[in-house]
Amino acid sequence: MSGNLTELLARAGGPQAPNALAELKRSRERERALEPDELARIATRTGLPEATIHGIATFYEDLREPRGRRHIRLCTGTACFAAGAPQLLRRIAGELGVEPGCCTEDGETSLAEVYCLGLCHSAPALCDGGVIDAGPGLLERVLAERCADVAAPEPASMLERPVLIAKGDWSGLERALTALGPEQLLAELSAAELRGRGGAGFPAARKWQAARAHDAPVRYIVANGDEGDPGSYIDKYLMEQNPALILEGMALAGYAVGAEQGFILTRSEYPRAKPALEAAIADAQRAGYLGERIAGSDFSFQVEVREGAGSYVAGEETALIACLEGLRATVAARPPYPAERGLYGMPTVVNNVETLANAPFIAREGARSYRALSPGATPGSKLICFNERFARPGLWEVPFGRPLSELCEQLAGGVPGGLKAVQIGGPLGGILPAALLDTPFDFEPLAAVGCMLGHGSIVAFDQATDMRALAAHLLRFGARESCGKCFPCRIGLQRARERFEGCQPPVRGELEDLLAALELGSLCAHGSGIAAPLRSLIEHYPRELGLDER
Amino acid sequence: MSAERGEPIRAEQCDSVRVCLDGGWLEVGVGETILQAAERAGREIPTLCFDRRLAPFGACRLCLVGVQGAGAPLPACTTRCHDGMVVDTTDERARRVVRTVLELVLSELPGDPLPGSELDVLARRLGVARSRFAGRTHERRHDERHPYLLLESELCISCGRCVRICDELQGAFALTATGRGFDASIAAGLDSGFANSSCVSCGACAHTCPTGAIRERLDTL
Repeated sequence: MSGNLTELLARAGGPQAPNALAELKRSRERERALEPDELARIATRTGLPEATIHGIATFYEDLREPRGRRHIRLCTGTACFAAGAPQLLRRIAGELGVEPGCCTEDGETSLAEVYCLGLCHSAPALCDGGVIDAGPGLLERVLAERCADVAAPEPASMLERPVLIAKGDWSGLERALTALGPEQLLAELSAAELRGRGGAGFPAARKWQAARAHDAPVRYIVANGDEGDPGSYIDKYLMEQNPALILEGMALAGYAVGAEQGFILTRSEYPRAKPALEAAIADAQRAGYLGERIAGSDFSFQVEVREGAGSYVAGEETALIACLEGLRATVAARPPYPAERGLYGMPTVVNNVETLANAPFIAREGARSYRALSPGATPGSKLICFNERFARPGLWEVPFGRPLSELCEQLAGGVPGGLKAVQIGGPLGGILPAALLDTPFDFEPLAAVGCMLGHGSIVAFDQATDMRALAAHLLRFGARESCGKCFPCRIGLQRARERFEGCQPPVRGELEDLLAALELGSLCAHGSGIAAPLRSLIEHYPRELGLDER
Repeated sequence: MSAERGEPIRAEQCDSVRVCLDGGWLEVGVGETILQAAERAGREIPTLCFDRRLAPFGACRLCLVGVQGAGAPLPACTTRCHDGMVVDTTDERARRVVRTVLELVLSELPGDPLPGSELDVLARRLGVARSRFAGRTHERRHDERHPYLLLESELCISCGRCVRICDELQGAFALTATGRGFDASIAAGLDSGFANSSCVSCGACAHTCPTGAIRERLDTL
């Protein structure tokens, strides 16, 4: 990200300045298209160059896709893929007479694909205007214009005393303020060995310590709620149904590192998340847990919620910061790390919302109790979620280290259509054949079989799944969501996608070179990670992929 | 406003560190990148998105090198040297990736690179004449509205040098990256052409462009 744009943003007022992305989203809600005059007005209002505004307007899916009076977005995420969304998309397009990504000539109806509405438990899903519907009979309801909102499943926990699905009550922050102090809180977090839950598993305490160590007039806490992983609805649950726990975790991070302002980035694909968080912020302010001099202490902390506009890569921490600043959500090379120079150029902690949701328990009960939640495995607990192919799809809190087979069979009831394979942890996670399901659910054991814990989603594919179509699905997702910055991802994913969508069998040698370039050459986990599921598919299903072995 | 990250830190300004480059040890300044160290040692590392006048960008990945102890090749332009670092610019894994990436770049153009352009020279130097990765190429789109500057979008490889030089060096902010993924490109102003943007006709973008996608017009001379 350009140092000069950071400077321009600071001159315009930094976090208080009008946000270009928010302005563009507002205009897009009002107008059918973003006209140059409107973009020029937004440039003036935000103090940013006209070219910069044009660059933002052409980046985000919500700003790019044509929109009619009735705008239908069908989820084509991985859980919906497994439930037949590609076939449904063709049916809807045929019946409504509009191609995906297009609008009818009279401006009446537009159809778009969206990567993951987080209704993987009831797939396939779609968004018709403001209504989010899913499950059996969807086509009929769309055609009858009778879509209705789907209820979220009730979460459950394998733990005797749930940690992450227990409602946040601010008791962790109270103990931190009255009994711990910032240093002791950091020490507890460090001893608890809390690892990031967003996918990378990086120790949270190290991020907090690094941001605290950098001298600066202001520091920021950023909660990453940009849960773009198709198949995952964990952060969606936390933001919509347990928002106070996230806010408490953010306040604890602010107290530990010396930050007074927090930001949460939510996704436009989860339209209920921002209002739920904002309601929880208002409640917390009334109760005195957010605001000036919290609970009579010297510590003040505020939280603001901002919403993205359709971009998977915005979940990467440097892209997330750019998105919060209202700019193009492209990845920046590190160093500098956000802990040194992040949001508006200031030291910033970026944690996934689930990571932050662990902090209140650690502050309240201490590291020892936290480590005892998963004896002999990664400390703490994890939220996991199952897709619609399982007999009992839903969201569970589990300890680390249990065999996947136990989770899939006992919690989710197995797969009625016969389990062929699972993808764990999102689109960048490896594909695990049913035969390897005795692998323990934890960071290292999963890495040993070419998979990853990732964010904790478990997407099952039944016996009917065509693995070549799955490869094409994953690569199409990868190519469509590439931010376009680094060359291996920008061009390589397009080429890999073309090789699986075409009629010719992909040549193994070429594919291996493409995957090596993606894996070793990409700037961020989007390009490097997508090689993993492809490698699993090549390893376990070479014949189904129909590779040319020349 | 300055491009502080782009300025090399000279060894005499601060404590130095020792790095091993292809078997030879040399002393470099703290904070210097592998690319700067290599230049000091007279080793040529290929780049496309790098311009010494600009902050390192880390997009093209052609400067990947092997670093002992690192799990994967690292980009020389954004990786800072540390004491005792052992760098191998001939690392086989890195070379394989670099060749593939260069093939990918050639595959996105509708034809051969512009003769004599930086991309053309680099491809010849690395012996990558053709690409195995045929596929969709960029659509032909020409902007000839400016009297001295020409934009041929199909030659753009999204290295971002024009956008950054307009920002970091000229401070005109006339250019932006547009779109995303394979459809990423660049545009002036509100896609209104150089002539209808904040462009000051300095020509820095044409000077830095490695493919000739932006170049000075010869027909209006």
